[in-house]
Amino acid sequence: MNEMTDGHIVSSYNKDLNHLHQLVIQLKDLACKQVLDATHSLIEEDVDVAQAVIVGDRDIDALDIKADEEIIRLIAKRQPVARDLREIMTIAKIVGDLERIGDQARRLAHLTIRFYDGDANPPNHHLLDDLIKMAGFVNLMVEDSVTAFDRLDLDQALDVIRRDGVVGDDFRSALRRLSTFIMEDSRSVGHMVDVVLGLRALERIGGHAKNISRYVVFLVKGKDVRHESLEQVEAEVARRQ
Amino acid sequence: MLSVTPNTAVGVTAPAGVFAAGFGPVVDESRAINGTVGDITATDPRMTARNVNVYYGDKLAINNVSLDIGKNEVVALIGPSGCGKSTFLRCLNRMNDTIDICRVEGEIKLDEQNIYDRSLDVVPLRAQVGIVFQKPNPFPKSIYDNVAYGPRIHGLTSNKSELDDIVEESLLKAGLWDEVKDRLEETGTGLSGGQQQRLCIARTIAVAPEVILMDEPCSALDPIATARVEELIDELREQYTIVIVTHSMQQAARVSQRTAYFHLGELVEVGKTDDIFTNPRHRLTEDYITGRFG
Repeated sequence: MNEMTDGHIVSSYNKDLNHLHQLVIQLKDLACKQVLDATHSLIEEDVDVAQAVIVGDRDIDALDIKADEEIIRLIAKRQPVARDLREIMTIAKIVGDLERIGDQARRLAHLTIRFYDGDANPPNHHLLDDLIKMAGFVNLMVEDSVTAFDRLDLDQALDVIRRDGVVGDDFRSALRRLSTFIMEDSRSVGHMVDVVLGLRALERIGGHAKNISRYVVFLVKGKDVRHESLEQVEAEVARRQ
Repeated sequence: MLSVTPNTAVGVTAPAGVFAAGFGPVVDESRAINGTVGDITATDPRMTARNVNVYYGDKLAINNVSLDIGKNEVVALIGPSGCGKSTFLRCLNRMNDTIDICRVEGEIKLDEQNIYDRSLDVVPLRAQVGIVFQKPNPFPKSIYDNVAYGPRIHGLTSNKSELDDIVEESLLKAGLWDEVKDRLEETGTGLSGGQQQRLCIARTIAVAPEVILMDEPCSALDPIATARVEELIDELREQYTIVIVTHSMQQAARVSQRTAYFHLGELVEVGKTDDIFTNPRHRLTEDYITGRFG
């Protein structure tokens, strides 16, 4: 039984909410796969996989639109209130963030094509180390944020929010490392700019995971913490009653 | 601010781990018996009810309910059938006096006057605290006489001209004047359902009440007539205090500033309507408004 969606006297309401809930999980699976595939395409220099990621983004867009249509229909039919309303608003926002994660995955896939689909010299693989490391980290954040939503788990949501600070630190460290590369070999500046854009895309994915986790706090507590500091969110989560 | 939350209502430390996952802030239902979650007071109360119990014979229908009704606010009373919301509403102008087996305990004041004081005459009380019922019930008289009836019997006017003014003003406030001004002598029962209900509201307004009680005033009306009455409620709020019983959650959300949720004769939760419909504190309130139990 899902605590969020079940228990209505009108069982079709449960069904509608459950369906919407499953759409979020499905969208998350798809978005995470896109990020992993895009990263894989960079590691393996696989242009075909990168092309598949770019095409696959349309599936995410289609799910995004489908979720919005279902949300509009559900609001019109059920006039949700209280936790049902919070859940639907949360889902609408999560779906938006997952769709943007898909966009960032597409940007990473474009890097693969730019690096490896042509006659130009590919970048030194060391340049990509930070990209690959950060991709795994932020992808796990996305997984965990949606799991926190699925389980209404505030502790896990808070953990993801904290990890976003690590992403910021890693991003800045990576920029410093890339600067030293440029100093050693200025011919790699072109690749460097592309890698920075890739890092920026991953940093944004971490940001979206953080957003999703903040929506979970709103869903459970009824308090909007989107623009609160980490300390304020921690205090809100600690305030159990 | 007085918040009637006994030891058993809120603030009890939850066992470790209880809130590890799931909806944490909702109060456990067992903790609200004989207590109300939320602030029962209003900053400028027009009516105050304290520790009200109502019995039908031996049966306790309302159990220890305390609630302020603030000046110029609309308070919505919601809850499943048989929860006591209409019984409580009828206590506010002593309509329950008409039921032989009904007994009311506790204190209900209108502007500091205890309305259950033995010396109090209920006739002027019911002019001060008017009531509009579920089914429009105009008298089988003309539209004019329906509105003029109250001012006449209460002796509020001294001549025909003054009475005409009251009738016009009341029909204007009830949003009905333009529709009936050319046929005031026609019978009130010939109007549409929505017009009849607005005529009943005009009849209530005509005796210059302080408080208007409404017992499911739109349940017999179509959506357009309902919208007109809701618009009217919003306008009337500027001059009157309104308590409305409704089974429509959306109506409660639309028209009221505060909402009180009743369950099995208890006032379970009261709060700002915006809060009740987005983030209620009590599990019973949430289950009811989200349609999770009947």
